[in-house]
Amino acid sequence: MMSRLLETFSARHLVYLVVLLAVTVPLLLNTRLTHTASDETKRFYANIDSLPSGSVVLMSFDFEASAFAEIKPLAEAVLHHCFRQNLRVIGLSLFAEGTALGEQTLSRIAGETGKAYGTDYVYLGFRPQYTSAILAIGESLPKEFPTDYFGVATATMPVLSGVTNYDQIATVISITDGGMPTYWVDYAVTRYHARLQTVLTATMATSFYPYVSSGQIQGLIAGLKGAAEYELLLNESGGGGRGLLAQSVSQVAILAIIVVGNVVGYLGRRRKWQ
Amino acid sequence: MTNRLAWIATLVTGLFMVAQYFIKTNATNAIYSTLLDYYQIIFAVSMIVGGIGLLKQHSLKVQRSSQRRGYSIVTIAAILFMVIAAGIFGTGATSPYQWAFNNLQAPMQATTFSLLAFFVASAAYRGFRVKSTPAFVLALAAVIVLVGKSGFGEMISQQLPAMAGWVLNNPSTAAKRGILIGVGIGSVATALRVILGIERSYR
Repeated sequence: MMSRLLETFSARHLVYLVVLLAVTVPLLLNTRLTHTASDETKRFYANIDSLPSGSVVLMSFDFEASAFAEIKPLAEAVLHHCFRQNLRVIGLSLFAEGTALGEQTLSRIAGETGKAYGTDYVYLGFRPQYTSAILAIGESLPKEFPTDYFGVATATMPVLSGVTNYDQIATVISITDGGMPTYWVDYAVTRYHARLQTVLTATMATSFYPYVSSGQIQGLIAGLKGAAEYELLLNESGGGGRGLLAQSVSQVAILAIIVVGNVVGYLGRRRKWQ
Repeated sequence: MTNRLAWIATLVTGLFMVAQYFIKTNATNAIYSTLLDYYQIIFAVSMIVGGIGLLKQHSLKVQRSSQRRGYSIVTIAAILFMVIAAGIFGTGATSPYQWAFNNLQAPMQATTFSLLAFFVASAAYRGFRVKSTPAFVLALAAVIVLVGKSGFGEMISQQLPAMAGWVLNNPSTAAKRGILIGVGIGSVATALRVILGIERSYR
């Protein structure tokens, strides 16, 4: 059995084994990496920190369940910050799958920080067709969401008092694993001059640097590193810090795999020449 | 006749949507707001049509008794379960719909997504070979960004994160901006083709 397993063991399996160990061992060690916050994360943090108490934050949970492990620490850290600042949080989702996960995350963090539903935060639920939903919020948020996720009328909720469109929203935060910030820029920022920040998976960050440098996105944090940095600024411990070592070790492992791949490739080519 | 009606509807709606961006009156705002409502309604209905289409497609596969009929049966059962469970018990926190989402769909999607790490590593081993100057530049940029953006970057050198930031904010952003401008111009051209009836995907 063992010899048969070894016979079929190829370089690909070795790569898989290295990645498995690189991810799991650091998680089991439960060690945290010493790090500092980047300027990017500090800017996002400062944007939230500078908002006066009672300001309205529209948080859109635009991600799928597949990316939740990476998005969750980021969303939790930003929510902690918002509630610590006594900001009013309006949650919604433009992705059907993000709806339940957004509600669970928002309710849990609100519960941990002692915030009251309807007064300090509300969850408006899902709206199909994100472009029209983003535009419709710009026209009238109460008309677009006459009831919340649970079917309760929103008109009398203190958290939504005086909120009619983006003019009363201090910042929109799109928490996403895809291209949603592009739509927020195209339809909310360009047309209604909304102030947008975004929370992303690490792989998506590169796509949105042009919007950050143009000022259309005012703040961006991404990946487990972003979450760990945000937790550092908040002086809290969370999933970002826990996952950073595992992610960093796997990144170095992939780098080592690339180097080994090149050496093996070079040796193979040299053998051919000879 | 139907085609012409569809084109006229596209032309009128398209031109109105362009015009209302610049002309702000109560009437244009009211029509615009109504159009946004219809946009969402049509999208919601299209999701139902898509669901029915998916059910039909998989029902056919089951009937034809293909080798992969098992997957189709699971798909049909999953769709029907979620629709019926949501219809009868709602989508609340303790509903069967939510239970299935939290305990089946979310872990399955997370598992599938996690497998990407293994495939990326395997692909990097086999495909990331430095055989030419452009490949070397690509590999160098990848190494700088990968290490600079990892947790070890600043431990190795304080300059590494700054170098990674430079790569992302300058060459990468410049290339991305060029692509975005191209996409923007392409979108305008495509929109014009649809409005003017040159492109008729609804035919």
